Amino acid sequence: MSERAVAISLKIPDNAAYTALTTLQRLGIDVARVERSEILVLSFGGDDETLAKSIEADEATFNPNKHRLTILDTPAPRQGEVWIAETGRLQRYVGWRLSDAAGHPAGIATLRTACERLLCNPAIEKATYPS
Amino acid sequence: MSRRIAVLVFPGTNSEGETVRLLRDCGGDAHVVHWSRAATLPEYDAYVLPGGFAYEDRIRAGAIAAHDVMMDDVIVGARAGKLVFGICNGAQVLLEAGLVPGTGEIRRPTAAFTRNGPVPHFVNVFTWVKLAIEPSRCRITASLPHDALVPAWTAHGEGRLAADDAHLKEIEAGGHVAFVYAHADGATDPSAVPNQSALGVAGLVNREGNVLALMPHPERDGWTFNHPDRRRGDDMLAPSGGAVLFKSFVEAVSRS
Repeated sequence: MSERAVAISLKIPDNAAYTALTTLQRLGIDVARVERSEILVLSFGGDDETLAKSIEADEATFNPNKHRLTILDTPAPRQGEVWIAETGRLQRYVGWRLSDAAGHPAGIATLRTACERLLCNPAIEKATYPS
Repeated sequence: MSRRIAVLVFPGTNSEGETVRLLRDCGGDAHVVHWSRAATLPEYDAYVLPGGFAYEDRIRAGAIAAHDVMMDDVIVGARAGKLVFGICNGAQVLLEAGLVPGTGEIRRPTAAFTRNGPVPHFVNVFTWVKLAIEPSRCRITASLPHDALVPAWTAHGEGRLAADDAHLKEIEAGGHVAFVYAHADGATDPSAVPNQSALGVAGLVNREGNVLALMPHPERDGWTFNHPDRRRGDDMLAPSGGAVLFKSFVEAVSRS
């Protein structure tokens, strides 16, 4: 068994991500694209294909008509991404992936500012940044 | 000249109809102001943020609305001493905006009304909320009697006050707990709290006493027909218990 992480995102336009983008831009944060996904971290012993099949079979978690599944290389935020978890619910996150106009992943400073200004309420949430 | 009250409508707000109607029944000059008319907000003397799901509660309940241009004017008005009353989702917006408890910076929340405990669940029950401060501590409650009990429908999935220990102590010691959940006889034991809200909190007030955030809906007990104990033969359009808080608010607006 090893710790694995998957990201479930929308295939269709993500209104919540677009709203986050326009609000972050209104706050003066240098971001041109925001992607949102649900991040699940779980212990799993099989290969990627088996992991994908087991998640795709759970219709409460994954709807093939609207969702895209990505198995992450490591159970940690990707470059430009911050994971937000509700306090006490640490194996399930919302991943916010930010990039600039050139498509480069947002740096840590931008991610921290985005969290402090909008994406994370420290009273009830915890942010995990890329290492 | 009468003081004008704006009832703000963000995309996703609901309850604005009964809120305006009850404010008017209590003598207030209340008007619905949609987001497309945000530029008119400075003309108003007080603001009410009703319930609903502003901006679909994207990111978090109240988070996007707290950064809406309408809130720019509400924040300016609150700092200038205008009265601001948030109900349910409106209360969540006020916490996300940092106006209540007001112990941190604007738009840097130190607390939240978040998922009900012990497990996430939606509550839709008739409740009582009890005034937990001196009535004059909050200008909006100034006309209520001591220990006032106000009936209000609790209808939310995210109404549990949460903050870290230091901020909870600040909220308690600073007199920010305006209303707590109670039984009909005024008892305030934990069994009266439908959502495991910290300190049994149903409503918070800022330090200056002009901004009140209340999770349950008093406007949904505004008339007898709303009240669960109504009886055949009652005047169904007579004011019910929830109207007393709106009347106190309207009186405070007229004094402002």
